[in-house]
Amino acid sequence: MSISLEHLYKSYGREPVLEDFSDVVPDGSLTALLGPSGSGKSTLLKMIAGLESVDQGRVILHGRDVTALPARHRNIGFCFQDYAPFYQLSVFENVAYGLKTRKMPAAHITKEVTELLELVHLGAFASRYPRQLSGGQRQRMALARALAIKPDVLLLDEPFAALDAQVGAELRAWVRSLQHELGITTLLVTHNQAEAMEVADRVVIMNHGRIEQVGVPSEVYDHPANDFVRSFLGPTTTFAGASVRPHDLEVTRSGEGVSAVVRDVIRLGFEVRVVAAPADGEALWLQLTHDEAQQLNLQVGENVTIRRRN
Amino acid sequence: MGRSPRWLRTLVILYVGLLVGVPLVFVFQRAFAHGAGALWTALQDPSMGNAIGLTIRVVLVALPVNTIVGVGAALWIVRHPSWLTRIIDRVIDVPLAISPIIIGLMLELAYAQNGWLGRPLAALGLQIIFSYPGIVLACIFVSLPLVTRQLIPLLREIGSNQEQTAASLGAGPVRIFLTITMRSILWATAYGVSLTLARILGEYGAVLIVSGNITDLTQTLTLNIGANFENYNAYQGFVGAGVLALTSVIILLLLGVARHRERKRHEHLA
Amino acid sequence: MTAHSFSPTNGSSQPPRTGWLLWPFSTLSRRTAQGVAVTFYSLVVLIPLAALFSNAFTHGWGFFWKAATAKEALSAYRLTITCSLVAALVNAVAGLGTAWVLVRDSFKGKAILNALIDLPFALPTVVAGVTFYTLYGPKSPVHLTLTGTWTGITVAIVFVTLPFTVRSVQPVIETMTFNAEAAAATLGASPWRVFRTITLPTLLPAIVTGAGLAFARAMGEYGSVVFISNNLPFRTEVASSYIYSLASAGDPIGAAATAVMMLVVALCVLVVVSVTSRRLVKGH
Repeated sequence: MSISLEHLYKSYGREPVLEDFSDVVPDGSLTALLGPSGSGKSTLLKMIAGLESVDQGRVILHGRDVTALPARHRNIGFCFQDYAPFYQLSVFENVAYGLKTRKMPAAHITKEVTELLELVHLGAFASRYPRQLSGGQRQRMALARALAIKPDVLLLDEPFAALDAQVGAELRAWVRSLQHELGITTLLVTHNQAEAMEVADRVVIMNHGRIEQVGVPSEVYDHPANDFVRSFLGPTTTFAGASVRPHDLEVTRSGEGVSAVVRDVIRLGFEVRVVAAPADGEALWLQLTHDEAQQLNLQVGENVTIRRRN
Repeated sequence: MGRSPRWLRTLVILYVGLLVGVPLVFVFQRAFAHGAGALWTALQDPSMGNAIGLTIRVVLVALPVNTIVGVGAALWIVRHPSWLTRIIDRVIDVPLAISPIIIGLMLELAYAQNGWLGRPLAALGLQIIFSYPGIVLACIFVSLPLVTRQLIPLLREIGSNQEQTAASLGAGPVRIFLTITMRSILWATAYGVSLTLARILGEYGAVLIVSGNITDLTQTLTLNIGANFENYNAYQGFVGAGVLALTSVIILLLLGVARHRERKRHEHLA
Repeated sequence: MTAHSFSPTNGSSQPPRTGWLLWPFSTLSRRTAQGVAVTFYSLVVLIPLAALFSNAFTHGWGFFWKAATAKEALSAYRLTITCSLVAALVNAVAGLGTAWVLVRDSFKGKAILNALIDLPFALPTVVAGVTFYTLYGPKSPVHLTLTGTWTGITVAIVFVTLPFTVRSVQPVIETMTFNAEAAAATLGASPWRVFRTITLPTLLPAIVTGAGLAFARAMGEYGSVVFISNNLPFRTEVASSYIYSLASAGDPIGAAATAVMMLVVALCVLVVVSVTSRRLVKGH
């Protein structure tokens, strides 16, 4: 089930939120909509779901124009950032909600819901209530609830934003493998570039309601289309008037390059940051691996040479 | 459904308009039914003048007392919890739940000349029932919780961090209250005080029993309206009603301003 | 422990105590404050309450029971409870709708609507009483005669209790994100189903609380109903009116007995409402 978005426009009053947004999300892929706050990505997701109106343009799900179709007829699964649990219903009843709405027979519902709860590792929590669950558990319940109706498309709005680093990392890996296993077309909104790179097959980078670049994670990282994309996807520093990645620079004690004075050496475990000030130009910083830094054994105040790695 | 359906808006406007708006307009219409001249004459009726004077004198005592007690009680309950404050917190709403007639009856039984407290007080030469102090007492009773109810949730929500910071910087309790606490509770207190004023001005049942309703002596404005009506002086009654309706509208404006300012203060923090 | 322990030069490294705010810290001052508070509250509330109960039982249980269940008393209870219940239910529904519009809608004059809701709080009951009597009585300008009817009493009570349900539901709606409603929509639920299964359960505790407050207030209402009801014993005499008639007829003990009965009933209602709304909040 592919998603085709054609020339979508949306504005709130005078403020344009989306401008001429067009993209095709391939069937079975996990695409990340990546961008800073206010770039329109959540609004776009809600427009695809039918939770927000479309000013201009079309939303097409697998060849069918759903632009005017209300949310409840689109058969999509949606997960909110705050998980939107139905607090007064049990975990079981939450997951069963969509099936109950479709008036499925009770035995069928029980079977489906039980299987889904096992799938998301919440089998033991079926009769608990959402307020008794942790953030990660609520997220998995929200996923199970969305998957219960066998949606054609899965939409996730900042699903990992409210979780601890550890829980979020585990959940990300699990969602990625689940998506591969089920093969369901998934669109994930996030402002966290590491998350997008880790999880997605395909990244759409947005800014101010427009697309900046589309591609596979490694592609957009290595070949950013412009300065915005470069600085958004990873750290940058200025070298010889250009914006470069700190790990694309190397430092030696001799040879060709720009001479600079070491200002600071910051050890962060695997990564070591070296802040250096060239004779003419702004201070910059480099990223070295732990081993490289150990071999070099730089001292503050030393004179060194900096150049790009090839 | 968008934010809120059109039909609901129409229904609500009709409901509130008919239930609340119409009576309010009606009061003023009746007060002006015989023109401004007649209205002016009626306003000079001596009994009504005495009633207004008495009402004002009651407000001058009952309002400040309940404000101070209300603010103090709220601060005490929230910042100094103890077994006693927990009890008071539970029973604070009691005056709002009891019929004013029952309140009047209670006060009369306790403070009448032959009552529990009335007897010793009479020996001291103090008459409570059928007299000014009784009316003040009744008005204090019925409006006792109004300020406190507004402040307790607010004080809990604000927390004492700001005040503790001030304390660590060397400020004493009074200074902290005047410079820090008061600023955050100002508009909520204003809201509560407006409700208290409305309640004191408008109290009828309790004052009816406790005052004896003696014209020109212990008759508040509300009692005056009731008496005029019962004596088939409907027009005079409506003139008094018009005065109180006007004060009610002013109080509504005060409530609106207080609510608006409180919201602004709240948004400022978020 | 002295009062001035919070200057920075103080050697103590303990953080300032919570609950220092208005009161000096010596035990003596605190005890005095407690004493003053207890005295004040006793004089104003507790002693009169005790006097009421004591007077009600002056002639013992038998007399109390006879007075509290007199025929006229029973019909007064019946009338009062019925009208209060109906008014509370009407305002529960109307309050929900009104609060919904006030929070979710925007139109010119909404501020006026919001202010009008508080009028029954601000307007003296006797003003409402005489106005309703004139509006809906003999010589009614709208040709509606509700005097001496249960309907008329109920209308007056509905007016008086309008703000309770609106103001108790309004803040809850204001804090709702409606994400759960959106999620339910994506799962296939129709707007009515979403409202019934998601929104209403969330609002129910506040609605019940508001209706409970409205009911308690309605039970004791006097000034606004005494005119339109015409006070016909056994027919349109509300409980507070009956108590007043006993008191002014020189039967303070009968009045006290009936009053105690009313208080007990009101207390039961408050307890039921409190328990119910706590049960309803179980999911949150």
